[in-house]
Amino acid sequence: MTTADVAITSQASGTRRIGEPWVLAGLLTAPGLYIIIMAVVPAFLMVQLSLAHREVGGLWSPGFELTQYRQLATPLFARVMGFSLLLAVAGAAICVSLAFPAAYFITRMKRRAQVAWLVFLLGSLSLSEVLIVFAFQVLLSTSGTLAGALSAVGLLAPGASLYPNFPAVLSCLVYLLLPYVILYFYPALSQLDPEVEQAAATMGASRFSTFTSVVLPMMRGQILTGVLLVVIFTFGAYLTPLVLGRPPQWTVAIHISNAAMGAGNVPLAAAYAVAVVVFMVALLALTRLLSRRRGAEA
Amino acid sequence: MFGLELRDLTKAYGDQLAADHVSLSIPHGAFVCFLGPSGCGKTTVLRMIAGLETPTSGAILLNGKDITGQPANSRQFGMVFQSLALFPHLSVGENIAFALRLRGEDPRRRKARVAELLELVRLPGLQGRAISQLSGGQRQRVAIARALAQEPPVFLLDEPFSALDAKLREEMQGELRALQRRLKITTILVTHDQREAMTMADTIVVMGEGRIQQHGPPVAIYRRPANRFVADFIGASNLLPVEILDGHTVRYGVTALRVGATCGVGGAQATLAIRPEDLILTRAARGEDNEMAGVISLVRDMGAYVEYRIDCQGQDILGVATPRDWIGANPGEIAHVRLPVESCQVLAR
Repeated sequence: MTTADVAITSQASGTRRIGEPWVLAGLLTAPGLYIIIMAVVPAFLMVQLSLAHREVGGLWSPGFELTQYRQLATPLFARVMGFSLLLAVAGAAICVSLAFPAAYFITRMKRRAQVAWLVFLLGSLSLSEVLIVFAFQVLLSTSGTLAGALSAVGLLAPGASLYPNFPAVLSCLVYLLLPYVILYFYPALSQLDPEVEQAAATMGASRFSTFTSVVLPMMRGQILTGVLLVVIFTFGAYLTPLVLGRPPQWTVAIHISNAAMGAGNVPLAAAYAVAVVVFMVALLALTRLLSRRRGAEA
Repeated sequence: MFGLELRDLTKAYGDQLAADHVSLSIPHGAFVCFLGPSGCGKTTVLRMIAGLETPTSGAILLNGKDITGQPANSRQFGMVFQSLALFPHLSVGENIAFALRLRGEDPRRRKARVAELLELVRLPGLQGRAISQLSGGQRQRVAIARALAQEPPVFLLDEPFSALDAKLREEMQGELRALQRRLKITTILVTHDQREAMTMADTIVVMGEGRIQQHGPPVAIYRRPANRFVADFIGASNLLPVEILDGHTVRYGVTALRVGATCGVGGAQATLAIRPEDLILTRAARGEDNEMAGVISLVRDMGAYVEYRIDCQGQDILGVATPRDWIGANPGEIAHVRLPVESCQVLAR
């Protein structure tokens, strides 16, 4: 059904089509206002704040100075950004590699099994991030089930803990994001025409080569978007690295918080945030450029 | 046997029999159409031949060798799907070369084969074109070229023309038939379009309720339907309820009609089938055998022919006449319809 087919009936004006400009404007007003108030205005304030003059006692006064931006050109900030990116890319690689085949196999199951999986995945999303992170902390701690089991079979020294470290942060982030990514891939994969795979089979392709040479390339756009989704989420991760990581495993989000809450330098925190937004926009633009170029080559 | 043989092929989904003991021999190089209404099992049979469905029982033999257990990728029967199933991420050339690339053929040979196939389907020079840039007819041709690239022993088509408009469909049907004759490849086409089957096939296999109802040359199927299902499904037929009187006579209402031969014993209920174009309409009674009077209930001048309906003893009988033979009668007028003996066929009810 096209949008033009959708009719809205009102007592005063009779039937109006969604395609009509004033109807469209009416429908878009509320979400448009929401985006302006909740995203554009804060973004503007953040830029303004990053250029403000820092006062003592965690205060600031309006101004236009680049003092805070100069602090971005330090090895510490470069290291934090580098680590955040590494964590985001590793998380994205693991999440997508696990989620894509999982979603593919779920879509190939019988309807009832698919529904059961979807309910399970949606159910897992109802758990609070705080709960999951602290559950991981318990699981990986010296007295935790996993550490205890590994100690019992001699794979871990007695009394050793499986956190805080990079694998602990990464595994918890993967756990948190995996259901989202599977649910993101599910609609696209369930709409994949089964005859496309059958056509490949009639031409001599095994199930594996059909998956690698037909399904994966056909879903390239969705995979790329899935990677970006995880990168964006992971880049801004706060609680997981704070609880399950050491300071070297802290992401830029923790440093923003520390600058604002700990050091009382709100303009610096705003400058960090602006840098992250610019970095993300550049990453998205680069990805789009690359996917367009590959599309043109194909 | 040289060709394809289906032996007692059965496919059950739970209690439902999609294909019920289908047996058929298809000689090498033949063009066979599986024809039937939706849900008759024709696509299931085609998919079993391709290796995309596993038969519940029965066997499929290619040139005498049992291939029932072989998966689709080992059989490599070229198949054109209803949705065409072209790979949108690959160019026209890459689509056609897909099977050859899997087989590890030399890139130069691949390129030459793609060019040859595009020439064959009358799309020369379109190797680099994206699938999204092709028209419906061009996509159809690419799908055919792709299925033929691996030089399959059997070429399968599942309602490939159903999405095309009438004019393009006819054009593609003609092209496919010519191509098949040139390549002499065993071809099986599944369709619900009688016209398509009649104009293309060497052999039509009429399927109904999972079973083969009749198979044979198109004209034989049309002229001598084996049962009421085939008579009703293939073309238009008048199916009159009759009672068998003796070996050559049946009674329709109060009229005794002579027929070539009857089936069943005297007193049995049967169906008399006669094609609309076989009826002879006159204004006045001629006093000949198999003549009945009726009231014209409908006249439709279709330009190339005139279609009429005559209410004869409570049932409308459909007839067609050429404009030259049309008697010029109007609805409500009395006319006489004659059923030539040689055109009357008696079928089990």
